[in-house]
Amino acid sequence: MRFVSSLRYAPAILIGRAVRLLARWRKPGGGSAIPGVVVNRIAPGFLAATLNGFPLGLVIVTGSSGKSTTTKMLVAVLRAHGLSVFTNQSTANISQGLTSALLEQVSLSGRIAGDVAVLEMDEGHGAFIAGSLTPRVVALTNVMVDQIDRFHDSEMVAALLAKIAARATESVVLNADDRYLADLGHDLEPGVSVARYGVTAEVLAQYPRGLGYADTAPIRLPVGTGLQLTRVAGRDADVQFATGVHSIRLPARGIHYAVDALTALSTAQSTLGDLFDPAIACTALSAMPAVFGRGEVVTVGGKTIEFVLVQNPSSFQLNVDSLESGTEQILVIIGSDVRDPSYFWPVDTSGLGHVLIASGLKAHDIALQLAYDDVSVDRIEPDVPTALDAFLALPDPVSGVKTIIFSADGMRRTRSHLGLVSNTEEPV
Amino acid sequence: MTATSLDRPFTVVSLLPRLLNTNGDAGNARVLAQRVRWGGRDARVVDVHSQADLPEDVDAVSIGSGTDAGLLPARDALRTLVEELRLWSNSGVPILAVGTGWELLSWGIDLPNGSVLEGLGLVAGHAVPRASRATDDIIVASKYGRLIGFENNARDYIGAEASPLGRVLYGTGNAAAPASGPQIEGLTMGEVFCTHLHGPVLARNPALADHLLQAAFSRHDLEYARAATAESVDDTARTARNEVAVRLGQDAE
Repeated sequence: MRFVSSLRYAPAILIGRAVRLLARWRKPGGGSAIPGVVVNRIAPGFLAATLNGFPLGLVIVTGSSGKSTTTKMLVAVLRAHGLSVFTNQSTANISQGLTSALLEQVSLSGRIAGDVAVLEMDEGHGAFIAGSLTPRVVALTNVMVDQIDRFHDSEMVAALLAKIAARATESVVLNADDRYLADLGHDLEPGVSVARYGVTAEVLAQYPRGLGYADTAPIRLPVGTGLQLTRVAGRDADVQFATGVHSIRLPARGIHYAVDALTALSTAQSTLGDLFDPAIACTALSAMPAVFGRGEVVTVGGKTIEFVLVQNPSSFQLNVDSLESGTEQILVIIGSDVRDPSYFWPVDTSGLGHVLIASGLKAHDIALQLAYDDVSVDRIEPDVPTALDAFLALPDPVSGVKTIIFSADGMRRTRSHLGLVSNTEEPV
Repeated sequence: MTATSLDRPFTVVSLLPRLLNTNGDAGNARVLAQRVRWGGRDARVVDVHSQADLPEDVDAVSIGSGTDAGLLPARDALRTLVEELRLWSNSGVPILAVGTGWELLSWGIDLPNGSVLEGLGLVAGHAVPRASRATDDIIVASKYGRLIGFENNARDYIGAEASPLGRVLYGTGNAAAPASGPQIEGLTMGEVFCTHLHGPVLARNPALADHLLQAAFSRHDLEYARAATAESVDDTARTARNEVAVRLGQDAE
């Protein structure tokens, strides 16, 4: 009866693919989570069984901030080591989105050609689906006071992350500079190894506002007990491995990218074991295309634009602080996703100096904050397409590039108006 | 005391901004200082974590909201400043306290495990756990105009019935609508203003900010007048409030 059991999910897979075809036919170019909804309904074990079935197992990256960048970096490093990697794109509805993504590649026996799966998980979603998953490695980025509507405080976020970490069968990789994660590392099951990474005291001292963690651990990682970030200057950084120091070129300026890189390197080391080669890893990381903010630099109608995605107060602050000084054309778009206008008030936006347009459904709320931070705002235009057209029509800036700072909703509206390829797994 | 100037910067104390600033409520201190600066006077915000940080003169005080994990350390830190808080509230120095910052000024906070965290006892009433967190926009009719903000309360507040800040038009406020009597929000005592409207309540509701400033200025026989810059910023605030009001089925101002 092995034949029957290995084809257990074949009907669900076929139905899911048919639904996907129909969804694509109805909405050309757009992806959809609907096939995932259908398959999860008719074969609830499909997702976990497939994800747990990779030869080198499943790696989960989670935490308040930096998940996406860390995941991308980790995938690049693993691929440079010759591995075939299945990975997901961030999506609000992770289990349905993942199932839809898996449907594209899975064979009827429920297997995917690949050596390892690397998944980015939101702390909330992770706790929800982690019960059925058995990750080999879990990487924890940080605990930041995040999305106050949903996760009230850092204790709750730490508890959600601890739930995911408890699923690790082999190792947990964690940021030793984050007090909540450092504490969490002491409470894991004895059979699971803990790989710690952190910055040196000298690096930390460069950032008087700290690194954005809800609580910074009182002591730095002792030398020789894990990967250490020993230097950051612009897009250049040095990482101390057990075997020596290697330099990396970051995809963007900012300490948060350096720490993301450190997380990715430490996680790759735990995933690959003896196969891990710091030189290969650092070369792969440095070869990643430059990104600015979490987004990218795009060219639209001959104009170069830098996208900066702000997902929580910490990332907003770090992005304001790492903005190239003298950036003279800034558009800020805050959308309906920022339901509570208080959300960004802990951020000191004064470093922006001058904003040409405030836009999005929360245009007036962000303009109000900018005004109290002594940032002059030339125009408030809630309609995003109108604001974008006006912003792009301006001649190129004399200093800096055109910079758009947006919330996730602002990003979606921007991408859609500019006709940029959108995330394929948007929630329906 | 002179009739035309203070001879020193207008001083707003932000109490415990490290522990009590989850929603950016500490920004209310910045709002008061900015409005004074826009009027052409020097103003500053002084972060106060302990006695050592206290400035000589205090014109207004802002206390923000924190997480439950920070309740005990925040209460203990506030206790070391209880004499000053009493002096300020008795001498008409305007004090704004938001969320847990308000709860800590009360008789106490009932915790889910049945214990009580004793407050400073500066204002009447106490906080008790709610069945579920109240997280939504909130609209309040008050003496200082219609106040619009956002609330995120894990607790109800009992005992403010005699002197609320206003009446709830939308949202929860101190507690869900009672069987009889009005549904109320906040507490006032002299120039002490306590509210669940977290974050930038003074930026979004400048009429309340200006009331606090008038109270502060009148202590020095000075006139407070809204500056031209504030007028244009207040137009932005009104549009932001109207966006919420209209979405929730209320009239625009």
